[in-house]
Amino acid sequence: MTSAVNASHPAPPGFGGHPFARGLPRALTIALTAAAVLAPLSLILYQSLLSAPFFDARKTLGLDAYRFIFDDADFWKALVNSLLIASGMTLIAVPLGGALAFIMERTDLPGKRLIEPLILVPSFVSPMVLAFGYVVSAGPVGFYSVLATRLLGGIPWGLYSVPAMAVIAGLTHVPNVYIYASSALKNLGSDVEEAARIAGASPLQVAMSVSLPLIMPALLFSSVLVFFLGLELFGLPLVLGDPEGHLVLSTYLYELTNKLGTPSYHLMAAVAICIVAMTVPLVLLQRKLLQNTRKYATIRGKAGRVRELPLGRWKWPAIAVAGLFLLVTVVVPLSGIVLRAFVTNWGLGVSVIDALTLDNFRSVFEEPTHTRAIWNTVLLGTLGGAITVACYTAIGFATHRRNDGWSRIVDFLVLAPRAVPGLLIGLAFLWVFLFFPPLRPLRTTIFSMWLAYSVVWLAYGMRLISSSLMQVSPELEEAARTVGASRGRISREITLPLIRAGLLGSWLLVFMIFEREYSTGVYLLAPGTEVIGAELVSLWQGGAIDVVAALALINIVLVFAGLATAALRFGVRLRD
Amino acid sequence: MPELTVDSLHLRYGDNPILKGVALTLNRGEVVSLLGPSGSGKTTLLRAVAGLEAPHQGTIRIGDQTVFDGATGVDIPAEGRNLGLVFQSYALWPHKTVFDNVAYALRLRKVAPVEIRTRVEAALAQLSLDKLAARFPHQLSGGQQQRVALARALVYKPPVILLDEPLSNLDAKLREEARAWLRELIVTMQLSALCVTHDQGEALAISDRILLLNGGRIEQQGTPQQMYSDPATLFAADFMGSNNRLTGRIAEIRDGAALLEGDGWRLWGTARSGAAAGADGTGMIRLERIGIAAAPGDNRIAAMLLTSMYLGDKWEHLFALGNLRVRAHGGGPLPSGQHWLEIPRGDFWVF
Repeated sequence: MTSAVNASHPAPPGFGGHPFARGLPRALTIALTAAAVLAPLSLILYQSLLSAPFFDARKTLGLDAYRFIFDDADFWKALVNSLLIASGMTLIAVPLGGALAFIMERTDLPGKRLIEPLILVPSFVSPMVLAFGYVVSAGPVGFYSVLATRLLGGIPWGLYSVPAMAVIAGLTHVPNVYIYASSALKNLGSDVEEAARIAGASPLQVAMSVSLPLIMPALLFSSVLVFFLGLELFGLPLVLGDPEGHLVLSTYLYELTNKLGTPSYHLMAAVAICIVAMTVPLVLLQRKLLQNTRKYATIRGKAGRVRELPLGRWKWPAIAVAGLFLLVTVVVPLSGIVLRAFVTNWGLGVSVIDALTLDNFRSVFEEPTHTRAIWNTVLLGTLGGAITVACYTAIGFATHRRNDGWSRIVDFLVLAPRAVPGLLIGLAFLWVFLFFPPLRPLRTTIFSMWLAYSVVWLAYGMRLISSSLMQVSPELEEAARTVGASRGRISREITLPLIRAGLLGSWLLVFMIFEREYSTGVYLLAPGTEVIGAELVSLWQGGAIDVVAALALINIVLVFAGLATAALRFGVRLRD
Repeated sequence: MPELTVDSLHLRYGDNPILKGVALTLNRGEVVSLLGPSGSGKTTLLRAVAGLEAPHQGTIRIGDQTVFDGATGVDIPAEGRNLGLVFQSYALWPHKTVFDNVAYALRLRKVAPVEIRTRVEAALAQLSLDKLAARFPHQLSGGQQQRVALARALVYKPPVILLDEPLSNLDAKLREEARAWLRELIVTMQLSALCVTHDQGEALAISDRILLLNGGRIEQQGTPQQMYSDPATLFAADFMGSNNRLTGRIAEIRDGAALLEGDGWRLWGTARSGAAAGADGTGMIRLERIGIAAAPGDNRIAAMLLTSMYLGDKWEHLFALGNLRVRAHGGGPLPSGQHWLEIPRGDFWVF
């Protein structure tokens, strides 16, 4: 019985090692994350407590900045507008998103598979681009406005009022509600709905008494989310609020420099802190609600095929709701941009055929700043996106299956940037690069942009990574441990290969959000760091509509190239 | 008139046929079980009756009302069929209390609130749930949830109640108690019930009639006794009970008896469907029908004892017959070595 097969082997070498050496990669990851997150955030807080910009020799500590903005009537107007728009868009987006989710997930609406991706389109297009699309389509001399003037003798809508902004923001945020409501409906076993039908409930009664109450946690969560996004709005009010001078908090902050004529970083920081004071509780509330949503998930019965609810006479109203939504939120703005990108000018009495041109694209490609912006945006999405996903994965491994104090700190670090709008994080990184002299040379490189983007999307990206990590059954890792693998080897040789597909999907999603991002780069824009999103903001301010239209179209094409790759090549699920 | 009549029902998912012409009737006060291996279409048949699956051919009638007819396009939706269905997962609405779960169907039928209260309370009392009316489903044990699901399906007195694996989510001990209790309830309330199960013990215990499904067709139907003691096909014989299979060649058929020959053994049994002299045959005998003897005799074969297992109320012995293995029940332990297995001719079916 003493054959080689039966001989006992000692535990593999390398299992022990110095405890410090084993913990080093994790400590390093946590330290770098902490630096990247806390440096900009604490700098905002510090700057808000100064009486002048931090590079000014005459600065003193105090609350002068707050005093100034609280005395400014425009600040209060902006605050009221922000709250009005956020509430209005929540009231529009949540019922509409919930209704669309029910129609798409549960009924026999014809052409559903075609409609569903279209519903998500507004969430993939940069809000700056969408807002621009509305101006060229439905603004005072927009394509559809001109058509309406011809047919009706006037334009029955206005675009630049606060209610109009709330409606447009509400409609373009329907996908945010739709994604959560429809995934809640997917997780909801259809057996509870079938039980209601057996008991004699009609489709509408099923929706009202069973489906909607059961996805209430998801609807509540998305209400808070939409309200929160409403407080963060920047591109939409920048474009649509400008003509009639309606400010919201973020545009108030953005206009402060113009208003005072001097760099007033202390005032901007004070406004930033006011915004964060409102968003932090909302982020914490979202976190709490999301945990509840998970708890509420019902156990599915036998995996029966969902037999769709027959809509019957409700078919045409349902088609009308979905069709009208798509017309107003997708067709109108996007067709406007496409058309505008190919005409020289537009107004009452201009013939489309005569105005057709490719000059807009020519001027984009003749200007090195613009070509650099396109190149940088692509680079940031592809290579930058890959590095970002690698960093997120490292952070994910630092907390994976570890429930200690350090994991809770990382949780907090990941969540913190979520409460700070991208515009402010970009601003804070500008200050970081100015404040720490050794970092100064990096400011005019694309690295500064990449770092800011990665921190802005940290919470979102980490959710992608950790949902991949969670899908790895703990037994697979425990099995590796029992045969003697160390933590590091389990991560490299078991977990990482298993989540490869999830990481690829995360990369594609990160690519798309990096392509559509615009506000983070506004303050970091410099020769060398041009990106399309921030260029659009700056060009719009300068009134270069032709170039904006062409760049906006290029931006849309980039995002949808990523989308098509994701959907066709990799079959990535575009929702969590 | 039967409470439920299903005739030549066909159903497919895409190109994959699930039901290939199933017919059944359910009479008042009768319990019929749909039994079969997974994938045989039994749950699909139940869901088609409920209106939750879409057949493409055949008819379904409840009482004298046609609820589905593939030829005329009649297809009453699930909510119009007035059936009771107990889901395998129970499908209790987690946001409603026990009372509201049971009351919901009555509210949909616009029953007066006072009457709802009395009827729900009566239904809950009948299932000993009266103290749990204010609880939510997640505050109940599995057995209690199962009874709430039953109360919810019974409260509006549907003509037919459908049960989808009603006991499969209970643990083994509870399941046996619930089985007796369910049979008692069905008999005392004179329910007409169609029940899906994959557990033959459950089917034998609670049904008046069993329909054995195989690959979307009905293999055999009959009373539990017929199904167990007189299976028509090899599949039916093998599906019910614990069996020994002896494969060999049929040497001779005489007066309904068949002689099966294997490697060093020959046994007489009753010739069943498909048995022909000179062909390969399969002999089938239930474990409890084999006798163990110390000496040779009529229709006995010699076998070596391999091992014995103690099952509590009996022993199970494993014998070797050449390459074949034969299991038999016995009252006590056996000495190792050679024994004689008695195979009663009437209990040994040769297919």
